[in-house]
Amino acid sequence: MSVSHPMPAASPIAATPFRPTGPLMGVLPLAIGIVVAVLLHVILPGFVGPYYSRIVIDIGIAIILAVSLNIVNGMTGQFSIGHAGFMTVGGYTAGLITYYGSYFIWGTLGKHGVFLGTGEWLFAASCIVGGLVAAGAGYIVGLPSLRLRGDYLAIVTLGFGEILRVVLQQTGKVLDDGAAIRAAGWSQWLPPPVGGAIGFDGIPKYTNLFWVYTFVTITVVVAYRLKHSSLGRAMISVREDEIAAQAMGVNIARQKVLAFVMAAFFAGVAGGLFAHERGVIISPKDAGFQRSFDYVIMTVLGGRGSISGVTLAAIILTALPELLRDFEQYRLIVFALLLIVMMIVRPQGLFGIHEIWHFWRRRSR
Amino acid sequence: MADFTQTLMTAAAIGSLYALIALGYTMVYGILKFINFAHSDIVVLGAWSSYTVADQVLPRLGYDSRTIPPLWIGAVILPLIMLFCGFVGYVIERLAYRPLRRAPRLNVLITAIGVSLFLQNLGQLDFMFGASPEKMPALLPSWELASFSFGTGEATRKVVISLVDTMIFATSGTLMLVLEYLVFRTKLGTAMRAVSYNTDTAALMGIPVDRVISFTFVLGSSLAAAAGFLYVMKYPGINQPAHTVWVLLGLKAFVAAVIGGIGNVRGAVLGGFVIAFVEQFGAFYISSNYRDVYVFALLIGILLVKPTGLLGSPLREKV
Amino acid sequence: MSATALLHVQDIGIAFGGLKAVQHFSLRLPAGGLYGLIGPNGAGKTTVFNLLTGVYNPDSGSMRLAATDLMGRKPHEITASGIARTFQNIRLFPNLTVLDNVRLAGQLRSRVGLFGTLARTAEYQHQEDDLTRKALDLLSIFEMQDRADELADSLSYGHQRRLEILRALATDPRVLLLDEPAAGLNPQEKLALAKSIRAIRDRFQVAVLLIEHDMGLVMDICERITVLDHGVTICEGPPKHVQNDPKVIAAYLGGGG
Ligand SMILES: Nc1ncnc2c1ncn2[C@@H]1O[C@H](COP(=O)(O)OP(=O)(O)OP(=O)(O)O)[C@@H](O)[C@H]1O
Ligand SMILES: [Mg+2]
Repeated sequence: MSVSHPMPAASPIAATPFRPTGPLMGVLPLAIGIVVAVLLHVILPGFVGPYYSRIVIDIGIAIILAVSLNIVNGMTGQFSIGHAGFMTVGGYTAGLITYYGSYFIWGTLGKHGVFLGTGEWLFAASCIVGGLVAAGAGYIVGLPSLRLRGDYLAIVTLGFGEILRVVLQQTGKVLDDGAAIRAAGWSQWLPPPVGGAIGFDGIPKYTNLFWVYTFVTITVVVAYRLKHSSLGRAMISVREDEIAAQAMGVNIARQKVLAFVMAAFFAGVAGGLFAHERGVIISPKDAGFQRSFDYVIMTVLGGRGSISGVTLAAIILTALPELLRDFEQYRLIVFALLLIVMMIVRPQGLFGIHEIWHFWRRRSR
Repeated sequence: MADFTQTLMTAAAIGSLYALIALGYTMVYGILKFINFAHSDIVVLGAWSSYTVADQVLPRLGYDSRTIPPLWIGAVILPLIMLFCGFVGYVIERLAYRPLRRAPRLNVLITAIGVSLFLQNLGQLDFMFGASPEKMPALLPSWELASFSFGTGEATRKVVISLVDTMIFATSGTLMLVLEYLVFRTKLGTAMRAVSYNTDTAALMGIPVDRVISFTFVLGSSLAAAAGFLYVMKYPGINQPAHTVWVLLGLKAFVAAVIGGIGNVRGAVLGGFVIAFVEQFGAFYISSNYRDVYVFALLIGILLVKPTGLLGSPLREKV
Repeated sequence: MSATALLHVQDIGIAFGGLKAVQHFSLRLPAGGLYGLIGPNGAGKTTVFNLLTGVYNPDSGSMRLAATDLMGRKPHEITASGIARTFQNIRLFPNLTVLDNVRLAGQLRSRVGLFGTLARTAEYQHQEDDLTRKALDLLSIFEMQDRADELADSLSYGHQRRLEILRALATDPRVLLLDEPAAGLNPQEKLALAKSIRAIRDRFQVAVLLIEHDMGLVMDICERITVLDHGVTICEGPPKHVQNDPKVIAAYLGGGG
């Protein structure tokens, strides 16, 4: 330490990662992300064909789910294992809007319009509405978290997913033509006819690379800005030490619920994308614990709080099983062992709370 | 009246199963303060090993799986299965949980999920139990021990006390009494309670904490095994190891433990019966489609009104 | 005197099960006062802090900070009204940087909401820069600016203790509760700390209530001292008075634990 320097060379301000200033910087990351999404959409399928394009779509959806779950489990230190429940709420809501909405707006079922046409905008809006409804559910599920310790919350969220599964199984069958829709009385709309145990078949398949990666961009930018802000700091303080956080003036109840609501919102959006994906029939079992555990594993392996780490985990854990289809039955055995070993050897996850480039920077210094 | 009595009896049998499973959750939580997600998989293991013995071993000993073997066969299989699952519980604790003794509780919880996933998916492999449901050969005759009639003429309804329900109730009752004795009347039980009350102090007093914890796992796992065995006596259609039914069973048992007051052995038993009654009566009188919903509604209700459960004592974190 | 008290506590108490940890505790802390709270181990000193900061709710009594009633308030509300504390068993946010530990405490009166945060508005930028500047300023008190980017966890014990104090100060308190800030420090460090506590009091115009086992330090800097034993106040007054009180001597000598 030199006396001649009143301020040390490595100023903390310089070290604070990514500080966009001005209104342009505020939207720049989003703009870049959307450009990338367009490029992906236009170029990728021609190169790799529909099968791999679909895997890339799956990866995008998984990123949204894992990164959003990470707001609750990683940043805020709560333990939600019902994330697929929120996803399913969003998926069914969005599907309900595009499926029956198409009929009421255009008089036909099925896809409407071209790339970025009216049908796709209805779809995008439906994903957002799905997110909002899921956020509402997140609020309701998050409320008990005010009174419950972390692991009880796990049970409540797990219970939420399972209850949702049971409730969805009781819904009526999808009205599959105009006559049936017109003939349906009020009693048939409550609960909505979304296919019961077999799932919601017939949702127009709008999901494409553009929309998925546009929403991926939004999710990642929001998560990143949240993490590097006062709000994110408050969430992290709840994770680190609730008592100390309160003593520093943090309203921990508010932070927990906010985290829940935000995570549920993005899960709902991802659900919308999932429900409209080609080859997918969203069904009650998607709300169950198996799917939720997938996202929990991604957040744990990636690093609790590391957005890039979790993104990487989402990519690998989604792509790998697809590429190793023959070993499907071993997939979860391997993941489970990874989880167990990880907790013993490197409990903070691959990247802990840091972003990947922090390691790079440290090494190169 | 007949329906009421019949539901009551089913609830008592199922409640005693929930109670048996809940005991394992509550004992582990009492000491290590985490939800042992893998506990329900021990129930699965108990169920499927019972099936394996009945389906593979018994025929080789000359008991055809289509005929009902003598009663004592069940009485021999049960303790063997309990012993086996107790051992598996011991191994799990030793390998997966013990390295995390000083780790944050969340890490242990994640490990427990890992162990659960591992067991479920391992169990579904072909050389284990396979990924399709099976039918448990009957070990008990379908006797009706007694039956009562209510009403007259056309409206007559019969209430049946079946051997299976009675056996379930009696066996779990006996096991619970043995546990009660172990926990409250023996030195080991005192040590368990001491470790549960304050692990560090107990260690200072010279209690071998690790051994007590191992023992707790063995105990909890063997009770879970018994529950698995009794469960397939009542419901012979066994679902594959990773089926949701098992997770729900475990979840409800955990809910029972929470409702009774987590860490409290008597509370777990009480909670088991409360859950079963709510579930069975809800299923019968409201709608059986939503039977799982009632249980969770009850859980949330109780947690909001009395977060420590029915018999739990309030805990304040020391600062 | 009670008319000028900033922190006005009357007869608060709490029992844990059968254990009466604190009974009939009263205190009048004037603005800018530097008072001490002493007593043997387990006397109930930390519990008094926990009551004052809303970690536990008193079973009885009343507490006021100036005109604000503190009874039944949540901890974060009490902090917002102007009482800050440190913890005896250091409770920093280990995985946050030193700077962020302080910034977190500084942000409690933040006006920027979710939208401003996510849109990175000018107002948000301005507030963050402000927070950073203030935090670095505070860190300079203990010459810790150059550690701003280190994780709190990686600090030495002495620095962690100091960071606890700075973090509490960042909430902009009118009353600062220090729970054994000198524990584990060596004699020179203790001396320096005593100086700093006085300096902090003067510079920030904050009243200080100090729990400390080091009698020399307490007698040296405190204007008045309250002595607890087994949850009961056995003596209250200026250092001279307390020092010579036979009950205090008995409590400390008579194996009072
Ligand atoms: N949450 C709690 N539950 C039960 N007992 C408690 C709790 N908090 C404190 N106590 C008890 O209250 C008494 C006073 O504790 P406290 O921590 O206030 O003492 P202290 O004066 O700060 O002691 P020390 O000098 O050792 O810090 C002790 O007997 C302690 O065990
Ligand atoms: Mg103390």
